[in-house]
Amino acid sequence: MPRTGEIAFDPRLRGLTGLAVVGFLLSLVTFGIYRFWYMTDLRRFFWSRTVVDGSPAEYTGTGRELFLGFLVALALLIVIYVGLFGLAITVPALAPYSAILSFVLLFLVGQFAIYRGRRYRAMRTLWRGIRLGQDGSGLVYAARAALWWTLTLATLGLAYPFMRASLERYRIGHTRVGTSRMASDARGRSLVGPWLLFYAVAFGPVLAVLLALLAANDFTLPTDLILPKPGGKAGDLILNPAYRGSRVATLAIALGVTAGCCLPLALLLVPLYRAREAKVFMNAASLNAASLGPVRLVSTLRARQFYWPYLVYALSLLGFVAVVGLIALLAGLAARAAGGNGFAWAAALGGGLLYLGGALAFAVLHVRIVQARLWAAVATTTDIADADGLNRILAATHGPGSGLNEGLADALDVGGALQIGF
Amino acid sequence: MPSSTASGRWFDGRSAAPHDVTLRLGDRLEITGPGVHRDWNLDDLRAREAQAPLLRLGIAGDPGQVEVVDATFAAILAIRCPDLRKRADTAGGTWRLVVGSLAAGVAILLAVALGLPVAAGLLAPLVPDGVEARLGAAVEGQVLDLMGDPPACADPAGRAVLDRLVARLVSGRGLPSDLAVTVRRHNTANALTLPGARVVVLSELIAKARSADEFAGVLAHELGHVALRDPTRALIQASGTSFLLSLVLGDLTGSTVIVALGQAALSAGYSRDAERAADAYSVATMQAAGGDAAALATMLERIAKDDAETDPDFLRTHPFTRERAATIRAQAGAAASGRRILSEAEWAQLRRICPGAPDKPAPKLRPGRGRRV
Repeated sequence: MPRTGEIAFDPRLRGLTGLAVVGFLLSLVTFGIYRFWYMTDLRRFFWSRTVVDGSPAEYTGTGRELFLGFLVALALLIVIYVGLFGLAITVPALAPYSAILSFVLLFLVGQFAIYRGRRYRAMRTLWRGIRLGQDGSGLVYAARAALWWTLTLATLGLAYPFMRASLERYRIGHTRVGTSRMASDARGRSLVGPWLLFYAVAFGPVLAVLLALLAANDFTLPTDLILPKPGGKAGDLILNPAYRGSRVATLAIALGVTAGCCLPLALLLVPLYRAREAKVFMNAASLNAASLGPVRLVSTLRARQFYWPYLVYALSLLGFVAVVGLIALLAGLAARAAGGNGFAWAAALGGGLLYLGGALAFAVLHVRIVQARLWAAVATTTDIADADGLNRILAATHGPGSGLNEGLADALDVGGALQIGF
Repeated sequence: MPSSTASGRWFDGRSAAPHDVTLRLGDRLEITGPGVHRDWNLDDLRAREAQAPLLRLGIAGDPGQVEVVDATFAAILAIRCPDLRKRADTAGGTWRLVVGSLAAGVAILLAVALGLPVAAGLLAPLVPDGVEARLGAAVEGQVLDLMGDPPACADPAGRAVLDRLVARLVSGRGLPSDLAVTVRRHNTANALTLPGARVVVLSELIAKARSADEFAGVLAHELGHVALRDPTRALIQASGTSFLLSLVLGDLTGSTVIVALGQAALSAGYSRDAERAADAYSVATMQAAGGDAAALATMLERIAKDDAETDPDFLRTHPFTRERAATIRAQAGAAASGRRILSEAEWAQLRRICPGAPDKPAPKLRPGRGRRV
């Protein structure tokens, strides 16, 4: 019976709040430059508290590396922007398409940056003194991502889970732990179910009401149902008075309400899909340590573990607003008792507190609740089947690699400080 | 010195296999186990980040590290090793970083406020005519788009008068040969000068003018902007400003440089010096063409007065308008008021260049203060 190892994450998060508050405030006063050091501190915290089979991970990146990478990326972006601008000027025929062209180009650069950013994080991650790594090509990854996105758009999103699985296979397949290579047999079809749920919730009821509407109108589209408002501005529409009180009119209103409700409702399914995806991807990942067969990961992640952080976050923010409102109310009452203009005082104090404290509270609570709890959920629900296989991992001779890899992702704003799963 | 011992797991840095070892803390830290023997100086010892009570120890230059879970041992070690938690990367650097980035931010702001106008002034004449013409075409498209595509006014008789007027104003002034003056129907009394010697006159300006000389003065003022290459200069300055400010704000996602051209051309005004220079150019041009050079002052004051009623923001620049009017009148001299640049018949024809104008309630434009004629 192989020994099962576990991935632990300390849920107390002692010191994280202070880190986030200081990091946020310093980023504010340094025009955002401190964010590279803040990001580094956050990663050191999360990495060092993620304990894999008894040994914590280690992040060895530095803020200086991220900052220098950002500066290099900036130089590259300036060249790209100026090039695009020059192209639009010198080839006037292209000018109308310059927005599309720059979007496509920046998308490709963004995907490249995501891959290179991940490479940087891998190269700066150590476990038991063994350095992780990532090979493969950022250009190939960007090309694959572009093709998959094209396919996804062409299939109205149906290819999305297959794209996610394919890119995950590429990323994991090029990840190394020492001399051992990881592998992923993630399949898009395992995600088709939760993905189709989006369609069911977003479009199912709308479709049902639409069918009912058509049935009520003898299966002809009531083209004269909506009319321009007489005497109104362009775009003002009203329901045709001829239909007033009819079943068709009721169903038409129901159609509007259903469409208005279902689309936001579908957004609530995002954590469900993300949780399912994380679980599938974790279960698909394995590490080929030496020649003795793969070490597999086993995930027992539940969707509610992804919902809970968002719920707590939303409630915390509501609580924050309520506390500010209460303080403003009390201040207003006190001012009124003292003979002043209570409303003005309450509005000024409440607005000021909301504005000043709001940004800080949002940022800190997001790190503390959403990022930390999502991270903890993925980490603590993952076990290592045959943990003794990990002992066979050998260090590779490759060094830490260039420190400039991640700047582009930051400059393009596509790299988060913490990416779950890595 | 009393010694303290603990047991831990040694990792040699070559493989992930753990080796059980014993740690003995005396004057130095001794780590011993099967095949492992280390004797580390306490001054060199560093604890790598880990959640207490787990302690991860190593020294620079040794790939090996040891993990200990022993709170008492950790406490004693913390007393014996003063540099245990010292980090190489942020040692005393935070304040330097704060001061440095504040200095960088201030430097960029200074560059925007002081350096860019100078740089734009130097760069504008270097832009090749072909590039400027294309730039002008692109900017005009965007500006017209933002204004809701006002229709062009091209009544043939009025157009003929305008062409003759422009020809008189530019004769011998060395303006670019591709100068294009167009009139568009819009309910804002304004005229825009765009890169590539493009002047767009809005019909309300003609409607507000009480004499041909008032209108011609404004037109000559815009020609002054053309001659001095102000639109290109303003465009370079606005693009540079938005780029540098996005650097400071850390947001580089927007392809602001490209997208905001039209917006920049609309909102970014010229400096007061540029307005004064264009005023002086207008006076000289009107005098050479035989018109009333002081009429521009009257027109400026009338537009300013109307604007003050609808746009409280404009009040702040009102003293500047008065100062400009006084300067124009002084430059024009007392004899100016008797001259007429067009006959009454010609002026009447020119006023009819937009048949039926103004009728369309187009969105009210809020151009930059300096941009106003």
